Amino acid sequence: MIHIADLNYRYPGRTRSALRSVSLDVEAGEFVLIAGPSGAGKSTLLRCLNGLVPHFSGGLFGGMVEVNGVSAVHDGPSRLSKLVGFVFQSPETQAVLDTVEAEVAFGLENAGVPQQQMRLRVDEVLNLLELADVRDRKLTSLSGGERQRVAIAAALALRPRVLALDEPTSQLDPQAAESVLESLRRLNEELGLTILLVEQRLERVVRHADRLVFMEAGTITVDGPLRQALSRISPAYQPPLAKLGSELGIDPVPITVKDGLRELMFDGRAAKATAPQPRTNGRRHEILLQAKNIGFSYGGRAVLHGVNLEVRAGETVVVVGRNGAGKSTLARCLVGLLAPGQGKVYIEGRSTHGRRVAEICRDVAYLPQSPDDLLFAESVSEELTITLDNHGLMPEQVNPGPAELLKALGLEEVVDRYPRDLSVGQRQRVALGSVIVHGPKLLILDEPTRGLDYVVKQRLVDLLARWKEAGKGTLLVTHDVELAAEVADRVTVLSDGRVLASGVPAEVLRASSLFTPQIARMFPQTNWLTVGDVLAELEEDRSDGSVSVLRMASEVERP
Amino acid sequence: MNLHPVAWLTWVSVMAIITMVARNPLYTLILLTATLLVSYGQSRLDEGHKLPLLQIAVAVLVFSAIYNALFVHFGQTVLFRLPSWPLIGGPLTLEALTDGLRNGLVLITLLAVFAALNVLVRVGDLVRLVPAGLQDLGVVVLIALTYVPQTRRHLQQIREAQAIRGHELRGLRDWRPVLIPLLIGGLERAMRIAEVMVARGFGTTVSVEARWLERVGTVMALTTTLLGWLLLLWIENIGWFMLFVGFGALGILLWKRGRSAQRTRYRQMPWGWPETVTVLLSVIALLIVVLPVPFIGQTSLSYSPYPRLSVPQFDPWMGALLASLALPAFLANEVTTSGERVHR
Repeated sequence: MIHIADLNYRYPGRTRSALRSVSLDVEAGEFVLIAGPSGAGKSTLLRCLNGLVPHFSGGLFGGMVEVNGVSAVHDGPSRLSKLVGFVFQSPETQAVLDTVEAEVAFGLENAGVPQQQMRLRVDEVLNLLELADVRDRKLTSLSGGERQRVAIAAALALRPRVLALDEPTSQLDPQAAESVLESLRRLNEELGLTILLVEQRLERVVRHADRLVFMEAGTITVDGPLRQALSRISPAYQPPLAKLGSELGIDPVPITVKDGLRELMFDGRAAKATAPQPRTNGRRHEILLQAKNIGFSYGGRAVLHGVNLEVRAGETVVVVGRNGAGKSTLARCLVGLLAPGQGKVYIEGRSTHGRRVAEICRDVAYLPQSPDDLLFAESVSEELTITLDNHGLMPEQVNPGPAELLKALGLEEVVDRYPRDLSVGQRQRVALGSVIVHGPKLLILDEPTRGLDYVVKQRLVDLLARWKEAGKGTLLVTHDVELAAEVADRVTVLSDGRVLASGVPAEVLRASSLFTPQIARMFPQTNWLTVGDVLAELEEDRSDGSVSVLRMASEVERP
Repeated sequence: MNLHPVAWLTWVSVMAIITMVARNPLYTLILLTATLLVSYGQSRLDEGHKLPLLQIAVAVLVFSAIYNALFVHFGQTVLFRLPSWPLIGGPLTLEALTDGLRNGLVLITLLAVFAALNVLVRVGDLVRLVPAGLQDLGVVVLIALTYVPQTRRHLQQIREAQAIRGHELRGLRDWRPVLIPLLIGGLERAMRIAEVMVARGFGTTVSVEARWLERVGTVMALTTTLLGWLLLLWIENIGWFMLFVGFGALGILLWKRGRSAQRTRYRQMPWGWPETVTVLLSVIALLIVVLPVPFIGQTSLSYSPYPRLSVPQFDPWMGALLASLALPAFLANEVTTSGERVHR
C-alpha cells in the first residue's frame, strides 16, 4: 500500500535534515505506530504520505514515496488527499468550519461529489464514528474526544485507503483517548483501513497497533511487530509496563497487563504488609495555598462546587480529572485570573480577594496550558529579565539569579537564542523560567506534560523533585495519570467540579479505575504506582536477602 | 431546519421597509408582535443568541420620549413649562412626548427585525448564497468567520499569560507582549488551517484555468463598469448604459465560471411551498402598502400626534394584512415538525 524508498528531506532554511534515508513498506490493512522522541521526524514522515511535504512545506526532497501506486512527489496533495486521510494533533485547530456536518462534508464538497452521494457518505461516516447524535451541533459545544472523532470522520468521508494521524490523542484525557483509539481499531479491523499513527507516549496506544516504527534523528532505528520492536527500543522511551519488563530482562516486553501477568508472578506470602504512606516526611510544613469552598460558574452553569484544597511547603499536590472537569478553571481561580463566585483563596495566609493578578503572581508561579503564549522576547535570558522588570526587581535581588536558574533548567546553551525557535520541551522550560524567576514559593502547573516525550517529561519530573527539596510547594493539574503517580504526595480527583476523593496517591489512584496507572493495575495487591516503586522494593528484598516478591513465570515453571 | 435563507431575507427586508413607511403606532405594534412571534418561534428551535431585547427596548423608549419632549415644543397639550434654558427651555407637550414614544417604537421594531435576521439565518447560509463562480471566496469568508472568535479567545489567553508574569496593560508600549504572541499565534494557526485544507483537497479540483477569452472579458467588463460610473457625472445616459453593459458582462462571466467549477454543496437548501408563501406574502404586503390599492385604508398608515393628540386611525384590512406577516412563524414550525426537510 505504501512504499517509501531512500527518503531524504530537509525543511527550507534548515541545515539539518529532517529525514535521512528512510525506507518503509506498509501492507494494506496494517496498523502502524510511529514513535520516537520529539524532533525525530515522525510528523514529517507522515506529511510525506499525502504530499504536504514537499508540496506545502517546500524544502529539499529526495527519494520516493508512493501510496497505492500514486507518487507523492509527482501527484501531490491534489490526488493524494483522496487516498490518504489526515488527522492532526489538536482538535481545536484542525476544524475548518463550525458545525459537525459542514466540517465532515468539506472534503466532499472540494472533491465535487454529487449532493445525493455526499449525504449518504456523511451519514455513513457519522454513524461509523458514533457521531450521528451530534451531527447538527456546533463544534465548540463538543468534548475533545468527540471533536477528534469529527476530525477522523472528516478525513474518512473521502473514503481514503490510508489514515494518517499525528498524535491524535495527546490532548485528550484517558477515556476520550480510548474512545478515539477504539474507533480506529474498529476501522482497521472491519474496513481493513491502513492506519499510521504517530505518538510520543505509548502507554495508551501500544495495545491497539500491530507494528512499531521507532524513529530517532530522522532515521528509522527499529521496525517490527509491536512487542518485539518495543523490546528493542531504549527503556527511556518505553511505557511503564514495558520498561519494567526490560528492567527485569523479560523479552519480548509485556505491553498489556495480561501479558505482564503471564510473565510475572507476584508472591503474596513474601510481600510485606505495607500500608500506603504519605511520601512527605511527617513534619507539618507551612501552608502555602489554601482554597476554601471554591465555587465558580460560567454563564449560569456551575463549573466548580465547593472545592477545598491545601498545598504545603515541600509538597506536590496533583489534581486529576477528565477534560472539562474544572481543573483549569480551578487553577485560574487560584491565581486570580477568575474571581470565584464563592469561597476564598489564601496564598501564604493572605486572601487573594481584591488583589490584582500581577500582584498575586509575585507569590505564586503559574504555568498555563499553552506556554507559547508567554514568550515574546528576543532571547531566552530577556524573557526572564522582563518578568523581573514587571515585578520591579533587579536580577541581583533574586536567588538563584537568572543565569543560575537557566542552568538549572538546562537552558544554559540557548540563553541567547530566540525562544520560539526552540523545541517544545525547551520552550516550556523557558516559560517555566519566566514565571518562577522572581522566586515564588508556590508553583501551579496546568497540564505541563502535553506534547512532551518521555525523556523531556522525565526532565520536568526531576526539576519538580529538586524544587520540592528546596521547600517549594507544587500544585499540578493534569489528566496524565503516570505523571501523577510519579510526582504526587497527595492526589485530588476532580469530577464535574466536585472533589471526589483526596489523599495519598496509592489509595486515591487505585480507587478510581479511570486514573489507575499501569503498574498499579498490574499489581493490585501492592501499593506500587511506578516502575521505580517496584524496582526499589526488589532492591530492598535483594539487599536484606528475603524472598523476592516478584518471580518470572519461567523460573516458577522450571522445578 | 428552517426556511430557505432567501425567503427569510425577503421577509426581513419587507418588514424593515414597512416599519419605516407605516408611521401609525398601532400598525407598528402589530409589526413588532409579528417579528417577535417569528423570532421567538425560531430561537426555541435553534441555539440562536438572544439579545437582551426587553432592556434595550425600555431604554430606547424612555430615551426617545424624553429627548423628543425636551427638544420639540410643538403641540397644544402642555404638561408643564421649563424656564427659558437654552435649547430645552419652553413648554413640554404631551404631543411631543407621544411622538417620541412612537419614534422609539419604530426603532425598537427595526431592532427586533434585525435581531430576528440574526436568529433566522445562519451567517454560514448567507455566505453560501454567493454565486458558484465565487464559491472559493465564500469558503474563505466562512473560515474567516470561524477565525474571529478563535482569535478573541487567543487574545484573552495571552493577556492572562502575561498578567501572571506580572505584566499590566497601562500604555501603548505594554501591548508588545500581547501583540507579538497574538500575531505569531495567528500566523501559526493560519498555516495549520491552510495545511488542513490542503490535506482535505481544497482548491485542487477547481483547477479551472481561466481561458484567455475569459480573462480579457473580465478586464473589459470591469473597465466598462468603471468608465460608466465615471461618465455618470457628465453624460448620464451613456453612463447608465455602460454600467448596465459592464455589470451584465460580469454576471455572464461569473455564471460561466460557476458552471465550470466542480465544487458541490452539502447543505441542501430546499425551496418548498412555505418559502413560496412567505415570499409571496411579503411582496404582496409591500405592494399594498406602497401602491395606491383601493379599499384598503392607506391613509391610516400615516399618523401625526400634532397639533393635538388624537387616537390613530385603524383600518381592519390593513391591520389584518400586517398581522398576516407573522405567518412565517407557523410555516417554519410546520417545516420542522413535519420533518420533511430533515434529511435524516
